[in-house]
Amino acid sequence: MKTKRITENILDTILYLSGLFNIILNAFKNLPSLRISPVRTVFFRQIYFAGIETLGKMVIIGLLIGIVIISQITSLIGVGRGELIGKILIWVVIRELGPLFAAIVVIARSVTAISAELGSMNAQGEIASIEMMGIDPERYLIMPRIIALTLSAVMLTFYFELAAILGGIIVTSLFWGIPFEQHTTGILTSLTIPELSASLVKSLLFGLVISAVSCSQGLKVSGSITKIPQATTKATMQSLFFVFIFDGMITLIFFL
Amino acid sequence: MITLECASLKGFLDCASLAVSKGRVCAILTETEFEKNLLLRIFTGLTRLDSGKIFIFGKEVSFFSYSELNAARKKMGIVLNNGGLISNLKVWENIMLPLSYHSSLSHHDMDEKMISILGKIGYDDDIAVLPGPLPAYKKRLAGFARAMLMEPDLVIYDSVFEGLSPDIRSKVLETITAFQRQKEGRASLFLDMDEGLLDYIRADSAYTLKKGKFYERN
Repeated sequence: MKTKRITENILDTILYLSGLFNIILNAFKNLPSLRISPVRTVFFRQIYFAGIETLGKMVIIGLLIGIVIISQITSLIGVGRGELIGKILIWVVIRELGPLFAAIVVIARSVTAISAELGSMNAQGEIASIEMMGIDPERYLIMPRIIALTLSAVMLTFYFELAAILGGIIVTSLFWGIPFEQHTTGILTSLTIPELSASLVKSLLFGLVISAVSCSQGLKVSGSITKIPQATTKATMQSLFFVFIFDGMITLIFFL
Repeated sequence: MITLECASLKGFLDCASLAVSKGRVCAILTETEFEKNLLLRIFTGLTRLDSGKIFIFGKEVSFFSYSELNAARKKMGIVLNNGGLISNLKVWENIMLPLSYHSSLSHHDMDEKMISILGKIGYDDDIAVLPGPLPAYKKRLAGFARAMLMEPDLVIYDSVFEGLSPDIRSKVLETITAFQRQKEGRASLFLDMDEGLLDYIRADSAYTLKKGKFYERN
């Protein structure tokens, strides 16, 4: 009995994961639909909501995180080692915190919004109404959200990392008097292709998985709008879970 | 335009047959809203039959690819009882959605077309608002304008007269009749639960759905 239940759970998980993979694959297949004006409008709205509206806060968080990290490093290893400080800053921010923080902000802001919006549209028959007009919901609703959220995650990661590094450098230069050049040497020598690729791959993958999970959970809502809170909670928790799993996996692949 | 041949769907249709022909006005009365909605889903290819055949514009639905089915849906205008508007789009965006999605007309031409249709149906409210707070009748009118913009060959009206005063009802009916005559061969299909429907529309054929079968009415 127990084995049967475990097998069923494993099968359900495999089916769910293949569903997510299909959503992402179809989004790429449907990319040419961005030529259609209403699809483009949905795409730009999502970019504005998930990316641009969040940018200011992301930069502030980045600056603060950069200051915190550099203060901790400096107090740990001492003031005179600017090159090492720069190196550690790059490792921590580019390899790990940048993509992770951007993903967490996207989850907090967009996952709930997308799953609730699609859930409510499905429960109220709006998606059926879209289909009745001969419009493919995968092209009109899903693809623009997947692509926009993924691009937003990449963009937010980039701005977060830039702000964190700048914040760190400014603070150490101003308060500890470490020359600016010492940092730039440390940063430039540590900023290698694997670091940048890991950051890009992580943010891309996080964006794809977060958007696919939120669309999938939203589309599962049917019949009653009371199921929407369950869908948003599930989407948030699953997105977080996937982000941490992928983070660990990519770090292992790139740096071990 | 739509033909059902011995269509069966467990617990709903039992070898039911029906035909909505070109240029005709047809009415189908159901006993429940659930039946009416399911019928609408079958006619638009959203719900598949267990057995039997459904032909949309002469082609059997099971032979349609997804894009062919969407092309067929494009030729249908559906005026839903609740308007079927998308809640996060403004009224004008809702009205323009199928046209701007499917056609290659310029924005200016589409705007002109929309304004002309809104004038014809007497929609005089603000169209730059979200549809949520609008009364059901206004939503239905916006849904009607949306369907009209696509110049469909077949229009399905889902309980469009529900809750209307006799005055407004006759105005809506006038618009529907004028729209029906505007294009040769255009068919209208009324889905309703109200027996009174047959008193004020002039249907060429009328059916009642009972116990899974369509019964033609005199």
